Amino acid sequence: MAKESFDKEIQFLRMLALTSGAYSRQQFADRLGISVHTFDKTIRKLKDIVSTVHQQLPMEQGAELADALRFSYYESADPVLLFLFRAKSVKESEGLRISLLLSAMRDETLTVSELLDACCGGTPDGVPYPDEKTVRSDLKYLEEVGVICREPGPRPYRYRIRGELVHELSEEELLDLYDFVDIMANTQVPSVPGYLLRDGLKKQLQRSEAMPFTETFLYKYHYHSRILDEAHLFTLLKAIRNRHKVRFLYFSPKTELSYASKNTNPLFERESKGRWEKVLPLKVVYDHQYGRWYLLANGREGIRKYRMEGMTQIEEDAAVDEAWFEAKMQELEERIRHSWLIDTGRPVTVRARFFHPGVSGPSFVKERVLLQGQWGEIIEEDEVSFIYEITVNGTTEIKPWLRSFGSACEILEPLTLRQEMIDEWKEIQAAYESV
Amino acid sequence: MNPFEKIFNYQILSRLEDSGTFMVTSQERSWLKTMLDHPAAADAFSPATLEKLRAILEPDAGMETPEHLLEKAKAAGKPVVHPLLRPLRRAIMRKRAINISYAIKGGRTHKDQPGLPYKLEFSMVKQEWYLLWYHRKNRSLLRTRLYSILSVSEEPIAESDADRILERIPQLLDARRTEAVIDVVPRYNGELSRILYALSCFDKEVTYDEGQDTYSVRLLVPGDEQEYLLSKLRFLGRRVRIREGAYLRRRMLESSTKALERYGIVSACKEEVPKG
Repeated sequence: MAKESFDKEIQFLRMLALTSGAYSRQQFADRLGISVHTFDKTIRKLKDIVSTVHQQLPMEQGAELADALRFSYYESADPVLLFLFRAKSVKESEGLRISLLLSAMRDETLTVSELLDACCGGTPDGVPYPDEKTVRSDLKYLEEVGVICREPGPRPYRYRIRGELVHELSEEELLDLYDFVDIMANTQVPSVPGYLLRDGLKKQLQRSEAMPFTETFLYKYHYHSRILDEAHLFTLLKAIRNRHKVRFLYFSPKTELSYASKNTNPLFERESKGRWEKVLPLKVVYDHQYGRWYLLANGREGIRKYRMEGMTQIEEDAAVDEAWFEAKMQELEERIRHSWLIDTGRPVTVRARFFHPGVSGPSFVKERVLLQGQWGEIIEEDEVSFIYEITVNGTTEIKPWLRSFGSACEILEPLTLRQEMIDEWKEIQAAYESV
Repeated sequence: MNPFEKIFNYQILSRLEDSGTFMVTSQERSWLKTMLDHPAAADAFSPATLEKLRAILEPDAGMETPEHLLEKAKAAGKPVVHPLLRPLRRAIMRKRAINISYAIKGGRTHKDQPGLPYKLEFSMVKQEWYLLWYHRKNRSLLRTRLYSILSVSEEPIAESDADRILERIPQLLDARRTEAVIDVVPRYNGELSRILYALSCFDKEVTYDEGQDTYSVRLLVPGDEQEYLLSKLRFLGRRVRIREGAYLRRRMLESSTKALERYGIVSACKEEVPKG
């Protein structure tokens, strides 16, 4: 099965987004487990896409991709890495045909023969005309992806573009729709289909002459690379729904090499660095604290956790028995009930005293604890401080959050965590004392 | 659902753009249909528009994701759509000035301030919307929580005046940015990915010193966001060190010293100060 895999591009873009130009070509290629030649080829392909998608920003020859992708907060809320999802390759002639067909249907419903005419009429000199069979199969594809539909009625059938979303709304309503899509794509998961829709609506609004369109919303502290992992999301969710196992080559993010080329050239065969896994997927987790995705699954050793960024070459495998799936799902749900993120360790009760910042006004410390403290509760409170209590699996995952409050938080229990926190503050103090 | 459909291909997209054709797939409609079930939809649209949208999407199926997708460490659900977004986004788009009254800390209020709004900003951390605006009398940039706005109305302004202010804003923003350099402590290089993820929300540049095996992150942070950066640095704890940025370094020292005091540990340098 010749399925185009974007594993390489995803790993590539993630490393580029996270390390933004830290490595030389050779270092970058080494870390991805690819050759410098493959590195150059990939970067050329990605540059080509970026410059086509962002026509307003023609890229200079040799301009660094990392710079082009660099996020400029106040200029635009466009997700810079979305162009990955535009990377599916399409033959030149097919791309031309599809766009001619859709443009022809923009304002009217047409029959196959009318569409064939429109297609031939738009084909540039020297390019062979498409035949009716090809056009029919294009129409079938466009119907399948929901872009066009066949009008009810007798033969010959007439086709139209499904553009109700923009044609039936007034300009004001279209603007409301754009804003809603923008807000939801930025604040909810999954977001990729929303970002794609946002792109289309934006172009439509920019075409309007009555109302000069500008973007006005900004979203602060986004984890930009989070949308790359959505590439695997739907594959995994489908496998879970179908109770199918999945097989994939896993690279633990703790090893420095994160991609193995599947090239036939034996020089590039570095698969041994990764590990083949076969597990039953149960839940996909999005962690808002770091902007990362996880797969929780059942394997031979019980519950298994994977970072989605380390998963490549995912394929569906055999189906499992429904009762078994249910049992494993229940077991997992029980084990993650008290996970701050995904820790399935022993539950422990953490108690911490938080101090209000001052005497007057609302306490932003309390606001933040209520906002981010998940299922923890405030069990005691006076003018100076309050006590927060939560039962979590292990203390590793909650610790950074507690530490982020600085001196506004004192750990009371468990004593081991209290001592760990003291030790860490001592280390931090020592590091900055020698000014 | 397959986010890599060939219909999303960049060359097709660019041709459709040239011919002014709007194209939408069932994947995008499914996503929208599911999002319309979110409580925010009722705040974002008039009842008539919402009904119209639901009718348009009637033939499409919703997304089948929520059941097996779990979100962790998500800030408690506050409304993501605020009623003032509609009028303010239009005022910004049409380059209108505003007259704004809003509450500030301590229960006081600022009445009838002349301003020019330029952006609406959502903080993912606080789950709050803010209006970013230019104070026409004080000539300063302000950031006001939409929930603190008591009243706001549009005011006329000559387009040339608005343009002049809008042109100056990027310079004013730049002037307020400060730079800091954070080193990843090499013994935590194994956690590099996690550390870089945590810092990925800032405007940054990473450098790698192969000889020292040290990663450094140069961050450009707006002045009013240093507090957030500090909380991120405390979040990462001993894994990172601030190399450049005197203010941040001082604040980290202060933070650790005060935190230790909470635990009854008074640092040596403090004890040396004679009492009385």
